[in-house]
Amino acid sequence: VKEENAPTPESADKWEIQLRKGSLELAILAALWAGRLYGLEILRHLEANSELVVGEGTVYPLLSRLRTLGLVESEWVESDSGHPRKYYRLTEAGRARALEMGRTWSKFAASLNNLVAPLNGAVRKEKP
Amino acid sequence: MITSHESQRAIDNYLAALRRELRDLMEEDMNDIVSEIRAHIVDKNTAGTDIEQTLAGLGAPRELAARYCTEDMMRRAEAHRSSVQKARLAVRWTFVIAATLALVAISAAGYFVGGGLIIFGVAKVMWPHGTGLWETQGPGDQWGLGLSGGSGNAPPANAHDILGWWLLPLGFVVGPALIYFTYRLGRWSVRKLFPRRKSQFALSEAQTEV
Repeated sequence: VKEENAPTPESADKWEIQLRKGSLELAILAALWAGRLYGLEILRHLEANSELVVGEGTVYPLLSRLRTLGLVESEWVESDSGHPRKYYRLTEAGRARALEMGRTWSKFAASLNNLVAPLNGAVRKEKP
Repeated sequence: MITSHESQRAIDNYLAALRRELRDLMEEDMNDIVSEIRAHIVDKNTAGTDIEQTLAGLGAPRELAARYCTEDMMRRAEAHRSSVQKARLAVRWTFVIAATLALVAISAAGYFVGGGLIIFGVAKVMWPHGTGLWETQGPGDQWGLGLSGGSGNAPPANAHDILGWWLLPLGFVVGPALIYFTYRLGRWSVRKLFPRRKSQFALSEAQTEV
């Protein structure tokens, strides 16, 4: 590989961003699997249970799209904090979609894990 | 836990700017989005996050609105594309059905006339006096035109053969030519109306070459 064609740290970052973006829809559907959540709870759930640190300005438009696609439904609920919150829950179509995406993800990740297993060994050796 | 007028003003300014940027959406959707973002800011502030930090996390009103509008445009584009595809499919199948019916009618006429000309051409050779296209002048100035042929047939009374020996080139040249061109027209039309798709195997071969 010529040096000029070697991947730069910048392109690796872009790849990681694209990977995170691509998995965000599945992550949100999975976060809603157990029950209804409002936007901030979804963000906190993702931060606590995965390495997905999602921008607040990203998750709300995506939730809006999922609602239009009929995968989630929303309702305004009065809260103890004195203002209503918009809760999201999965629809039947959303549950089916989440299951389908989850199966695909698991299968894909397992096959890719096999493929990158030799790289993991190399990474461990490189670490001081 | 909004502590100062400055913070409250910052929220109001942000939401007013967001509302302006969302003006292309439906009023109901716009109000829904603004209310949700307001609730988000208040919740984060209640949890102890600084207002400026929350607003920075949401991004500039224009950027946030652009994300909503992009999603909205994508949905509309998908819906539009879907309806256009359905309309195109309906037009395509209407055309295919009409063209197929026309093709069947034209082919039937072509084969029938071509075959008939050949039969009458042969009959003219075998029974020249009884085969022809007869023009008859009946009682009361009745005019008739008939094609007949056969071993037992004689020309009708007061009949005049219009074609005469021209029936031979019609039977042996025009008839087969009509059948041939009808066949070619049918083949060409079927290829155009129902084009064959490349098989998966052929496609993968082409991709391998690339």
